[in-house]
Amino acid sequence: MPSPIPMTAVQAPRTPPPRRAALAVAALALLSVPCHAEVDARALLEGALDLTRGLSSHMRMTMTIHRPDWERRITIEAWTRGREDALIRFTAPPKDAGTATLKKGERMWTFTPKLKREILLPASMLSQSWAGSDFSYNDLARTDKYLRHYAFAITDTVVDADGRAVHTLELTPHDDAPVVWGKEVMVLRADHVMLRQTFYDQARLPVKEMRTLAIGELGGRVMPLRMRMADVDDQSRWTEIHYLQADFEAAVDDAMFTTFALRGGR
Amino acid sequence: MPFKLLAQLAWRNLGRHRRRNGMLLAAIAVAVAGVVLLNTMLRGMEGEVREVVLDNLTGHVKVLRSGYLADPGIRHGFELPADWQAGLDAEALRGWAARLRVPTVVMSERETRGAQLVGVDPAREGISFIGRASVVGEPLAGAQDRRLLMGRALAEQLRTAVGRRVVLVTQAADGRAREVGYRVAGVYESDFAGLEKVFVFTGAAALQETLGTTFVTEVSVRLSDAADERQQGALADTLGAAFAGLDVLGWQQLEPQAAVIVEMADFGVFIYFAVVMGALVFGLVNAMATAVMERVREMGMLRALGMRPAAVVAQVMVECSLVMALGVALGLGLALAVFAPFADGIDLGAFDLDKSLAQMGMRANFVPLMTAADVVLVAVLSVALGAVASLYPAVRAVRVPPLAALTGGRFGAAGQRRKAARTDDAAANSAVDD
Repeated sequence: MPSPIPMTAVQAPRTPPPRRAALAVAALALLSVPCHAEVDARALLEGALDLTRGLSSHMRMTMTIHRPDWERRITIEAWTRGREDALIRFTAPPKDAGTATLKKGERMWTFTPKLKREILLPASMLSQSWAGSDFSYNDLARTDKYLRHYAFAITDTVVDADGRAVHTLELTPHDDAPVVWGKEVMVLRADHVMLRQTFYDQARLPVKEMRTLAIGELGGRVMPLRMRMADVDDQSRWTEIHYLQADFEAAVDDAMFTTFALRGGR
Repeated sequence: MPFKLLAQLAWRNLGRHRRRNGMLLAAIAVAVAGVVLLNTMLRGMEGEVREVVLDNLTGHVKVLRSGYLADPGIRHGFELPADWQAGLDAEALRGWAARLRVPTVVMSERETRGAQLVGVDPAREGISFIGRASVVGEPLAGAQDRRLLMGRALAEQLRTAVGRRVVLVTQAADGRAREVGYRVAGVYESDFAGLEKVFVFTGAAALQETLGTTFVTEVSVRLSDAADERQQGALADTLGAAFAGLDVLGWQQLEPQAAVIVEMADFGVFIYFAVVMGALVFGLVNAMATAVMERVREMGMLRALGMRPAAVVAQVMVECSLVMALGVALGLGLALAVFAPFADGIDLGAFDLDKSLAQMGMRANFVPLMTAADVVLVAVLSVALGAVASLYPAVRAVRVPPLAALTGGRFGAAGQRRKAARTDDAAANSAVDD
């Protein structure tokens, strides 16, 4: 059962924005009928998942992989279609340029220019380290798996300096869920911007944590611009993603999601 | 000449040189004991390798769909006919198990490892190591059990434990990847870390449901321990008839490396024997030749008294065989005395050899094996070798002309002949005088 929302959330600012008011009402309702919180938590989560996703999108970003003795920065261009299909291509540095990943439904290919051939990756790669980073493909793709495999509840709500509510959402995987984590905790702003996401093992110890380092407007949406995923035990190992450009209503040609496009053909 | 007399003569002759013959006996005993003991080690290794292979989900004979070995997966499975067991010889049978074995990727919070996911009916797994493995936590309750049994080494690598959830990714019957969360019911221990890392088990029926299939990928049949190759062949024929169109493979085909080790053990006893006894036989020949040369006069006298050349040969051969037989008896006694304390096994783990042994497919507790057939083989071969080796001194003994022998040469047949030629007349005279 979700724990009751602390009073700070309800008492907060004098002139609450409409959304905030709605939340306050929901929170009050929660105190009397706890199951309403489920609906609210779901809406919050769906909003956060949809924030960096459009029907079709085109994005440019950099990914910085940091290790104690080296660091590398890759520039990435990505196109998505619906919730399942994506083409991700490295554009810099020259050593990595042209390396690309195509995900179509449950199948994923990778193409390396040096080998001049595409390789069909096993689906298990989706939840493993992607391109040597601390992110898995699933971490980046913001799939629906949260809605399907987790029970979620708002465990805490506070108000930040700008007067916005900040919710702590605890996600517990169902018993038979294909999820390795014991639980995940997301800190979400009321406008669906994810501030922090922590992954706990089944002994409830934190394993890795993603923090949002910068928030800004991109492609007409307020969203996290810079996110860092770090190993909790070893802070010297992290990966940072920096969104440079995003278009969530891009006209993306279906031909982008073919192995021909994967090879770099347009 | 009666054999009893020959034997008596031979026995007496042996008694004439106690120290020399004692040394000879000791040499034979040590050599025979050495061969027998080396052979128990080799047999032990053979038994060990065979047992491990049979235990390792292989069994004596396995039914697979052709193509499974090259590309293991549920699409290379087959339907198990309900009445397939009809022709099995119940007496020689230890048990059978139908399984699904598919490649999988196991993920925990911190690590990811490749493994083989095996769907089993725990009640049928008395024929494999997993049926007897010690389990921390709970073993699988039945074919319907949706939980996972994982090896200790894998659990350590994944940093997971009993009661935790891991995610397995595998390919379902429709060709699509399936990600499934599994609770770890128990962690099993095996003698081999390799096995612990490779196999994760779950209920067969539960796995069929997960993969969306009614297939199994293998039927493994194990015979009783006493079963021989003939029974295995008969089993393969029966299975071939029951599973038309599928591959029926013996463990020798499935594990050719192990089969070579086992074959080598059958041949190894002859190698040891040839090396050790080959060296020994020269000592034996030397000792007997010396004994014969010392007795040239005596031989001459016996011949002169009317002993047939064949009897002389027989006497030397009996003498030699007697030494050999005694030596073999002593050697076997010695071997048995050395073997007895280790019959239950030698704990090689104490020497910290576990890992290298495991690589050879052997367990840390090594059990040497002494078989009656091998002991009899060594004994018979040794006595036969002794008899053959005695031919040379015996022939030398018989080639000394009695006359020359009596006149006292002791330098062998050739020398005797030369000497005899020189002193022909004198010798003839003295013979007449006698």
